[in-house]
Amino acid sequence: MKNKMRICRRMSGLVAAGCALGLISPLHVAATVSDADFNALRDLVQQMNGKLHLLEQTNQLDQQTIQQLQQQLGDTKKTADDAEQKSIAAAQAQTAPIPHMPIDETTVNHNFQMLGDAEIQYAQTKGQNGAFVMADFAPIFLYRAGDNILFEAGFDTTLQNNAPNSPGSSTSFDLSFAQMDYVMNDYLTFAGGDLLLPLGTYVQRGAGWLNKMPDDPLAVDALLPGSGIGGMLMGAVPVGNAGKFINYSVYGVNGPGSADGTANANVLDLDGNVGVKSDGTTANLHKNPSGGGRLGFFVPFKPHYDLELGISGQSGEWDDAGKYLWSAGVVDAAVHFGPNFQINGEYILTGYGSDQGFVHQNGGFVQTGYKLAGLNREWPIINNVELVGRFDYLHDGLGTNTRRYTVGYIYYITNTLLFEGDYEFLNSNDPSQADQFILQLSLGF
Amino acid sequence: MSKSKLPKKALVQKTFAAVSAAMAIGGLASILYADEPKPAAPPQTNAVAAKASTPDTNSVVVKTRLTGAELYSIQCNRCHQERYPTERTGAQWKTIMLHMQVRANIPVSQARLILQYLQENSGR
Repeated sequence: MKNKMRICRRMSGLVAAGCALGLISPLHVAATVSDADFNALRDLVQQMNGKLHLLEQTNQLDQQTIQQLQQQLGDTKKTADDAEQKSIAAAQAQTAPIPHMPIDETTVNHNFQMLGDAEIQYAQTKGQNGAFVMADFAPIFLYRAGDNILFEAGFDTTLQNNAPNSPGSSTSFDLSFAQMDYVMNDYLTFAGGDLLLPLGTYVQRGAGWLNKMPDDPLAVDALLPGSGIGGMLMGAVPVGNAGKFINYSVYGVNGPGSADGTANANVLDLDGNVGVKSDGTTANLHKNPSGGGRLGFFVPFKPHYDLELGISGQSGEWDDAGKYLWSAGVVDAAVHFGPNFQINGEYILTGYGSDQGFVHQNGGFVQTGYKLAGLNREWPIINNVELVGRFDYLHDGLGTNTRRYTVGYIYYITNTLLFEGDYEFLNSNDPSQADQFILQLSLGF
Repeated sequence: MSKSKLPKKALVQKTFAAVSAAMAIGGLASILYADEPKPAAPPQTNAVAAKASTPDTNSVVVKTRLTGAELYSIQCNRCHQERYPTERTGAQWKTIMLHMQVRANIPVSQARLILQYLQENSGR
């Protein structure tokens, strides 16, 4: 029994030693590979490497594609979000009340304007009672239909005593002018309608508060038409960059007519030939219209120092038979010497044929103004005063010759509210005319 | 004798009228073209100097071109007291300037500059 135990122990020792020796000794596998097998295996490995490389490239491309798709997805999502926000804002705007917008130029209210002047006057003619003689409201309505088209019309509303022929008073509402202006380009403008004629500059630019005197020059009132029905082409061409320019006007109008329907049918009527007769028929009182025009030069030397010269004229038949012509020529000039002194004037020469022979008429005026602010004194009232003077005369060709000398002042209450006072010395062979004292309050708006 | 004197007198009158007309036209032309901006300086041979002088030349031209404010003072004051730009809105000035452009027959280019000045300084 003991031998068996000894043999088992020895067997176990041998097995354990063998195991230990096996663990400690390196495993050596001896294999024999042929060249063909080795080459085949090498080719297989190389193919596997190539496929792996291709897979890596494909993977990179796939990654790039995925990134691009992710970016596009982000953009699409942002666009969708923006659209959603806009749709929400639009929906809110539709439901919200319309906010109050400031009036802009597209609204009719700002294309429509009213300018003009208003005057009240007190006068005392020598040898007569003084009186408030005039309440005048003269608005000009403007409507601009776009950048180049303007409709404008001026009215004159005055009050007149019916004495001495009847009691009471009457109000007159006259259309001074009504025209459409179309600026065709920088150098050509068309005006049509009842036009203020460019015979001199006073008729177009001297009325109401623009004039430094409370009344018109004798010759302008007596010798020139206030307006004319017709069409006019006009424009101005700059000369250099210093503000100089030449301007022109060429027009055709019905022209003066005769005093039809009265006992004086052979008497010249400067303003009556408006194309529509009292019986409703439309016709010129004579066969041919009148033509006229003005050429002007304006030269500024610097602000408030400038010279303007102009020559203008009109001619056309006036009597019903078309036998006689009425013609007018006007030379106008204006000079500014600084902001405080100006002088301007016109010489007017007119004439017309008649059964009694050719009637020569002429007249003119020169007026000046000096603002006492030019004295550079610290006098608050004096600085608002402008001294004015005018000489004007009229030879009407029918025997009446008048010379008038006017001195006066303007007190500028504001730049558009003027209080004027003038004394007019008359020298005339017409006994009905006499010296006159005039006070006027004038407002430009 | 008297017949021979009349044509001479008429000739003298016509000559006087022609000379007067020529003087008037010449005087107007000299006024119109006086004090115009001088032309730009001739090009310099040195390219760098020419480049350097360019802004000065431009500034001279700009100075001689009247601004809207200056044209406003020149043109509006011819017929009436100046109106303050703040009296009207920009849109109102547009309508008024179209009226004034036609009434005073001033160049459209000058009217544009005046309008720009009035609108830039308008009240509302």
